[in-house]
Amino acid sequence: MRRISLGSRLALLFAACTATVSLSAGLLFNRASEQHFVELDQQLLESRLSLLRTQLSGLQRPDELEPLLAPLRDELSHQADLALRITGSDGRAWFASRSALPEAPAASGLTTLHADGTDYRTLAVQLNKNARLTLFLDITHHQHFLQGMQRLIWLTVGLSALATALLGAWAVRRGLRPLRQMGQVAASVSARSLTTRLPVEQMPEELAELAGTVNAMLQRLDDAFQRLSAFSADIAHELRTPLSNLLTHTQVTLTRPRSLEAYREALHGNLEELQWMAQMINDMLFLAKADHGLLVPGQAVLALHDEVDALLEYYAPLAEDGEVALLRQGEATLQGDRHMLRRALSNLLDNALRFTPAGGEIRVTLEAGARVCVANTGMPIEPAALPRLFDRFYRVDPARREGSSEHAGLGLAITRSIIQAHGGSIRAECKDGWTRFVVELP
Amino acid sequence: MKLLIVEDQARTGQYLSQGLSEAGFATELAADGETGQHLALSGDHDLLILDVMLPGRDGWQILQAVRQAGLGTPVLFLTARDAVEDRVYGLELGADDYLVKPFAFSELLARVRTLLRRGTSPSQDTTLTLADLRLDLIRRRAERAGQRIDLTAKEFALLELLLRRQGEVLPKSLIASQVWDMNFDSDTNVIEVAIRRLRLKLDDPHPNKLIHTVRGMGYVLEERPD
Repeated sequence: MRRISLGSRLALLFAACTATVSLSAGLLFNRASEQHFVELDQQLLESRLSLLRTQLSGLQRPDELEPLLAPLRDELSHQADLALRITGSDGRAWFASRSALPEAPAASGLTTLHADGTDYRTLAVQLNKNARLTLFLDITHHQHFLQGMQRLIWLTVGLSALATALLGAWAVRRGLRPLRQMGQVAASVSARSLTTRLPVEQMPEELAELAGTVNAMLQRLDDAFQRLSAFSADIAHELRTPLSNLLTHTQVTLTRPRSLEAYREALHGNLEELQWMAQMINDMLFLAKADHGLLVPGQAVLALHDEVDALLEYYAPLAEDGEVALLRQGEATLQGDRHMLRRALSNLLDNALRFTPAGGEIRVTLEAGARVCVANTGMPIEPAALPRLFDRFYRVDPARREGSSEHAGLGLAITRSIIQAHGGSIRAECKDGWTRFVVELP
Repeated sequence: MKLLIVEDQARTGQYLSQGLSEAGFATELAADGETGQHLALSGDHDLLILDVMLPGRDGWQILQAVRQAGLGTPVLFLTARDAVEDRVYGLELGADDYLVKPFAFSELLARVRTLLRRGTSPSQDTTLTLADLRLDLIRRRAERAGQRIDLTAKEFALLELLLRRQGEVLPKSLIASQVWDMNFDSDTNVIEVAIRRLRLKLDDPHPNKLIHTVRGMGYVLEERPD
């Protein structure tokens, strides 16, 4: 079942509130007017009663009534809605000013009666031991007024509820316009238009935070999408050169018969290109895994100095060849994935070895709390290029990919992925003739 | 040694089959899961090379069927997918090794030989020899034509690996992994340099060379007639 809309929900709530308020007000007013009528009737009846009482005070028997009737009728003729009845102590009626008067209650005081479609207010009093006087006031018109009033109250309640529902719906629609706007923006977002943003300044306070969050999400999506597009373009570009080499080389080789040696040579050339491509694809798959958060490092306790020593031993022949001194200082222990961290540090050392001139030095400094610094002497790097060193396929010198043994420019990106998967960070610095890669691991 | 290859990609299957045959193995090729499983259950193979994604039955199912039939034949998986869960799943099912495409044939060959050797007990020899080269594993000494060769610990380990697997082409990645415990592909030429240094000590003073480079594949230690 579809949930009721926010607008309808609010409009209905408004209507219910108005109905409750107007109903209570109406009922209160109805009750007050009823009370007011009772008081009015009581005053009227009491004033008449005191008058009649003096006239009839001497009445003892029914036959004494005759001479009093003329002034009594005269008195009653002034007030058409008033009637009276005089009864004896045995309950028999001695006189009634009007026929079809209802039975009065035995008790004295004010009561309200209903008989034959007429409402009466009655006031009874004992004239003396033998006679009892009951006054009847016809209050049908009061009751009519009250009934009319009740109808009016119900009508008001209904109409005001309806009116608030409609007005409320309109107000809610207006009030929720920023929310609809948000929905429209969200609906218009697609891979093509990730640049759309919600106008946070124009949003009401309650929505500004949400709008900010949505905008931040869009920004992240946009960034990731841009990176992905750039990455795909880079992949295509990077694969294009070796592929084109392979195609050309293979076709040229096949254009005419050649010696066995020439074919072998051609295949070896192709093999080198293919190995380069395979390496690059494997590296890219590794990075893709890291991007998807699929890189889950193990949590073994590692003596980092031992790992660094093993790596330095591995690179020692290469360094000796390049007349570069390798050095480790300090010790550190941390929890992490041995293979991954070896790979990360290996890429840093490999990178350092590429850029250290003969007679230079590579120094790996370890600090407890896990900080690794791989520093090498060498040409200074532009400060603007330093953070970009970790970008995929980034090369300080764009013209520098010639010869298939050149690495793909993914090594430092892989290192950063591994460090980040361990919850750490890496940055590059360049100062006083040293290039430093500083890794902070938790 | 008879190998079963179950691979639905016709070219891949053909190349693998050809390569392994030329390396001296008898091979049988199945192009779909059903046939593959049927052949695998016959039990007359020394090693199964299974692609994971296959029509009919996938590699995992074949492996399960083989293990349920009580066969302990070693299984090497080839896959284009490299998800950690896949690797773990495969190893849990009882796979012995796992190679992700694209891989080098030399790498596959080295792994196949490792798996086939696994069943046999390692040689208890205390000395390894080839031609006039002698390696004393106890005293950690290397001699060639009666002359002592001074080797660093890693050079000794490298030579021991080459000697133990003499005649086999060892890819650089395998050497890096076995000697230096570097289990990742790296495009450095560390191994080239290390081999060159070992050659300098081992081969340069002698006319008959023992370490040979197989271009694009790796290195092999063997005696070759001139």
